Amino acid sequence: MSESRPSIADRLYRALLRLLPFDFRSEFGDDMEETFRDQRAHARRARGSVALLRMWWATIVDIVRMAPREHLSVLSQDTRYALRMMRHNLGYTLAAVVILGLGIGVNTSIFSVVNSVLLQPLPYAQGDRLVVLRQQATKLNADDVRFSVQEIDDYRRQNRTLSEVAEYHSMTFTLLGRNDAHRVRTGVVSAGFFDMFGVKPLLGRAFRPDDDKPGAPAVLILSYEFWKTSEAGDPHVVGKTFEMNDRVHTVVGVLPPIPQYPNENDVYMPVSACPFRSSQRMIGNRDARMMSVFGRLKPEATLEHCHADLSVIARRLEHDYPKSYTKGMGYGISSSALRSELTHHAQPMLLLLLGAAAFVLLIACANVANLILARMARRERELTIRTAVGAGAGRLLRQLLTESLILALLAAGVGLLFAAGSLRLMTEFVSQLTPRAREIGIDGWVLLFAVLCAGATTVVFGSMAALYSRTDLAHGLKAGVQRAAEGRRNLVRSALIAAQVAFSYVLLIGAGLMVRSFIQLARVDAGFVPQRVFAVSFDLNWSRYTKPEQIRSVADRLLEKVQLQPGVLSAALSSSFPLDPDTLGTNGWSQTFQIEGIPRSDAETPPVAAMRAATPDYFRTLGIPLVSGRTFRESDTAEALPVAVISRSLAHRRWGALDPLGRRVSFDNGEHWITIVGVVGDVKEFGLAREAPDQFYRPMTQLASLGYILVRTASDPARVANQVRRAILDIDPQTAITMEKTLEEVRADSVSSPRTTARLFGLFATLALVIAVTGIGSMLALSVRQRVREIGIRMALGATPRDILGIVIRQGVALVAIGLAIGLAGAVALTGVLKALLFEVTPTDLPTYVLVSALLFGAALLASYLPARRAAHIDPQHALRCE
Amino acid sequence: MSNSQGALTPAMFNVLLALADGDKHGYAILKDVAEHTSGEVQLSTGTLYAIIKRLLEDGFIVEVTSRPAIPNDDQRRRYYRLTGDGRAVAIEEARRMEKLLARARSKRLFQAFKRA
Repeated sequence: MSESRPSIADRLYRALLRLLPFDFRSEFGDDMEETFRDQRAHARRARGSVALLRMWWATIVDIVRMAPREHLSVLSQDTRYALRMMRHNLGYTLAAVVILGLGIGVNTSIFSVVNSVLLQPLPYAQGDRLVVLRQQATKLNADDVRFSVQEIDDYRRQNRTLSEVAEYHSMTFTLLGRNDAHRVRTGVVSAGFFDMFGVKPLLGRAFRPDDDKPGAPAVLILSYEFWKTSEAGDPHVVGKTFEMNDRVHTVVGVLPPIPQYPNENDVYMPVSACPFRSSQRMIGNRDARMMSVFGRLKPEATLEHCHADLSVIARRLEHDYPKSYTKGMGYGISSSALRSELTHHAQPMLLLLLGAAAFVLLIACANVANLILARMARRERELTIRTAVGAGAGRLLRQLLTESLILALLAAGVGLLFAAGSLRLMTEFVSQLTPRAREIGIDGWVLLFAVLCAGATTVVFGSMAALYSRTDLAHGLKAGVQRAAEGRRNLVRSALIAAQVAFSYVLLIGAGLMVRSFIQLARVDAGFVPQRVFAVSFDLNWSRYTKPEQIRSVADRLLEKVQLQPGVLSAALSSSFPLDPDTLGTNGWSQTFQIEGIPRSDAETPPVAAMRAATPDYFRTLGIPLVSGRTFRESDTAEALPVAVISRSLAHRRWGALDPLGRRVSFDNGEHWITIVGVVGDVKEFGLAREAPDQFYRPMTQLASLGYILVRTASDPARVANQVRRAILDIDPQTAITMEKTLEEVRADSVSSPRTTARLFGLFATLALVIAVTGIGSMLALSVRQRVREIGIRMALGATPRDILGIVIRQGVALVAIGLAIGLAGAVALTGVLKALLFEVTPTDLPTYVLVSALLFGAALLASYLPARRAAHIDPQHALRCE
Repeated sequence: MSNSQGALTPAMFNVLLALADGDKHGYAILKDVAEHTSGEVQLSTGTLYAIIKRLLEDGFIVEVTSRPAIPNDDQRRRYYRLTGDGRAVAIEEARRMEKLLARARSKRLFQAFKRA
């Protein structure tokens, strides 16, 4: 046959052969072409073109069929070989799997949260079309003033962009008819609420429009959790009756186990069944705002359309009801996607953590890449010999890739275990940020993510291996070339170390800033003394206490009884308390007021301050200092002169240098005037990181509103808490105690989100530090091993162990210094993103930088010291003989 | 090296038989198998070389370094030879088949078949 140019048939066949593994092709390819050429010639000669075509077809089918089997056999061979090698180097394998596993683990763990909270659609029918409506009084600094019944009607009737509008509010009611009074969180919703969210009841039915009509029989839908725990999952619960608010309520349905938005509730009732919502006081008053409103966009409407549409209605209302929407309040309405509404708090934090986790993975990769390089240096002989006996470069590369892939998959397994183990912790953390925390779990996407992480790391290692095999193996046996290659490899290894240091530094700075910020936060003087004080939140059965006198009387009896308990130093009732988890991050109960002698037109923005009702001992119990004047007295009765105590910041803001004592304010446009009798210290009411609000205190006798009892004890609050609980139930057994916490706990809880963030960041940074430092140590140890002869010669020429120690440590320190310099630049560039999360710490906080640099440097020094000491103890005679 | 991966397939047996009466190159093996089975077993190059690869790995055949002197022979063409191991395996397989056949005969399988 002619050698000159391959025919088309030859080329076609050669293309077909590309389906086979590289090895197979290089081993038999030529021979196969030869054989096939003979076959072709014979078929054409003897049997014509049909036979030729048939033979082509048979050949194609045959190769397509056998190729996968051949690939599989190579793969299984490689796998077996890789596993054998990994067993031989168990220490290396374990180190690599654990380091990579941690890297993949933290990423998978954070990703499982990002996936469920930010990526997955809401668990509702077309959840992306659900919107939250919100009314604002921008000039009063109120982003969410809720809706009144009349406003809901107006928006429902007049809008053109929403196919449905549903209302919601949540209250706590007493459920009777069992052994004890049961307080249930009750979601009060319009009849179309569940339909709008696309929630189908598990048992029974959803609410019907009839249920909303005034006077309709009271019905209830139970949440899945409540049905399971309180009704033991009774399948016949539909039709069962409960007594609530002095009415009989019939269960008509049970919800499926879905996350409930906006709050978790035990039961749901239609608006007609809520005594507050259905009262004439609510329905008839445009300013009685209590409800949240949700809507579903019409198919063709966008959020922008909706916003424009609602704004037109708002302007109309402003025009029609100038008394309700004064110029001074800055009335407006907004609509935002429910989805972003539910997750916007969590988003920056989660993305930040994902970024931090990615850094850990990068460091882990750099570290394992170094391990691989070190090991390949040791396997050099083996690889060289295998090349020499004819294993193609492609074959070796494939082998190395298989090893990396197995390593990475094992690490992904470790990572998934890690993620599964940390799921509870993550859920707890994220629940402080978003109601979607309950949805967090490990699903196919998370698995895929872990595998992708593993895949990415394999590519990294594979290219390392490729780099190595391409440049070195061919020349592996030549000593001179080998030395040059050794130098290049050391350079790569050094670069990898410097990179690890740089990444760790950035992470450590981030963590350092977070921790420092948290320490600042924890040190904040909140303006009250939380030690040995506890708060009990209770709910009276309100249907029995409707008049202020009734509330006053029960309050008197309660307080008296509690004060008599042994161990109680002082006790007070109040309408709320500092850092109450329910008002954290809000503006609490805020009230506009007017100062006597300062006239104000409607167009002006009225002053606002937070309001609290309290009994006389409130200030003593919480340790809030009196600045001037007096606090409340027994003589401040309902009939006496109406009085108020104000906070220092309020006094300062409204009266400046003047003395506020004896001045009067009004909360009802001048109908009643209240005299200021005292000024007390500022209290960080709504969060340690927030400014203390301007605060009014009113005596409970004059403003009957209670819900909490605060108790300062002489000793262990836990013991006294029990007595107090009993005392409350003695006064009225139908009272429900909904919370019992020491104020120290309350204070700690108020910063649990920054604390967890600081901890997670700290954990990541510690991991990074440990990985990087061990990386430095093992790299130097290897370098010492490679330089035994050189060190021996130096010692023979008179170098002292001290000199040798210096040489090795200098090598380590140089790498760390380079890494630190790069890391410093990176940290200054990147930590800006932390700014919003930091409290009284700037992203370039000098002490943090100094401390972190010292820490990293110290750790690196320690890591260099161990191999350096080893080097210093080398016996020169032995070292020279060795070679 | 004899790490036999499972039983000998009929196709492998045929290849061993083809090499029993002398060294052959790939196409010669194909032709031999086709002729001796009256065209019933038609191997294609893919399967043939997968078999050759396995037989080489198992040590049942070897590549011949001293090639027969044939005029106009292409230098790239490779010749294969049955090894002692290969011959033994082929004989073993033939015996096994012989026994099987004898059993079928003793059960009067063929007569029963004819009568039916």
